[in-house]
Amino acid sequence: MSMADEDAVFVGTGEFAVATHPKVLVTPALGSCIGVTLYDPFRHMGGLAHVMLPSPADTVTTGSLCRFASHAVPALAERLSEGGARHRLVAKLTGGASMFKGDTHFAGIGDRNAEEVRRQLALLRIPVLAEDTGGSHARTVELHLDTGLVLVRSYLYGMKEL
Amino acid sequence: MDPNQLSALQIDALREVGSIGAGHAATALSQMLGKSVAIDVPRIALIPVTEVPGVLGGPERLVGAIHSRLLGDIEGSIVFIAARDDLLALVDMLRSREPGSTKSLHGDEEALAIHAASILIAAYVAAIARMADISLLPSPSSFAFDMLGAILEVVTAEIGMKVDSALLILTRFIEEDRSIDAGLFYLPDPDSLDVLLGRLGII
Repeated sequence: MSMADEDAVFVGTGEFAVATHPKVLVTPALGSCIGVTLYDPFRHMGGLAHVMLPSPADTVTTGSLCRFASHAVPALAERLSEGGARHRLVAKLTGGASMFKGDTHFAGIGDRNAEEVRRQLALLRIPVLAEDTGGSHARTVELHLDTGLVLVRSYLYGMKEL
Repeated sequence: MDPNQLSALQIDALREVGSIGAGHAATALSQMLGKSVAIDVPRIALIPVTEVPGVLGGPERLVGAIHSRLLGDIEGSIVFIAARDDLLALVDMLRSREPGSTKSLHGDEEALAIHAASILIAAYVAAIARMADISLLPSPSSFAFDMLGAILEVVTAEIGMKVDSALLILTRFIEEDRSIDAGLFYLPDPDSLDVLLGRLGII
């Protein structure tokens, strides 16, 4: 990896984080979850959310609302919107795979996650510049805050730039 | 359920589940292969789900996983996970090949690995059902081969993220001088876990 380890900010499953260059936001091993990156090119600042499910309607459990696209996407946008920055934000999406072969039960989760994230971004009028979603492979994602570059690593395709 | 709160009786009962399941699986595998394969359980423990990736070498570790949903009196998921090299070594063992001969998992090898894992899953599920005196059946299994973290994420998202503890049954396949370790993780939803441990505690 190109970055120094001390610059990496790790985002766990169901969490989000905001950082400024020279930090790099990283989330490892996205499966059916979606990695949502928002980037403000003017301040070289951005955020990464690792969302698990579309909305709280998809589970009966209590706990952090940041696991849900319906909550995490607006919350992350809000954190990056100080000083009228919202109109500069741009989004990139990764993940949303269906990991298990031969199981119809799991199949829909990744797609439904991606759909809800896109819907939330549309409501916020944040454009989606690029996507690497779907398929059946895991992805590790980095958001580099100098340029807004998103690096996607997978065993299947190696390194991909968004 | 806090894993540290388990009573001595419950821990004994879990060990018993492990050894009964392993015994039945070894018998079934030996019958299927026409040769003697033993299965040992070096470790059985209730661990927080968040510690599962650590047991197997981190979220980006390349692993093979065979997953079944549990149907019946209690709900949850059971998933067999082995690191890539261990899964290839397991195929070597099951096929009576020299260690290191299997380089990748193609149709036949994949089917064999799924078959062996499914036998193990069925044997442990039967052992749990018997010890707790409940009806419990595994669904047909599905297969994934990729990053550990991504696989676990799908399994836990599917049961609505209700899971906080996993029953780890570390499983060791032994044939003469070679042995291979794999992990079997039973992920019950919290209500089911309480029912199960309650049942096990009063045996």
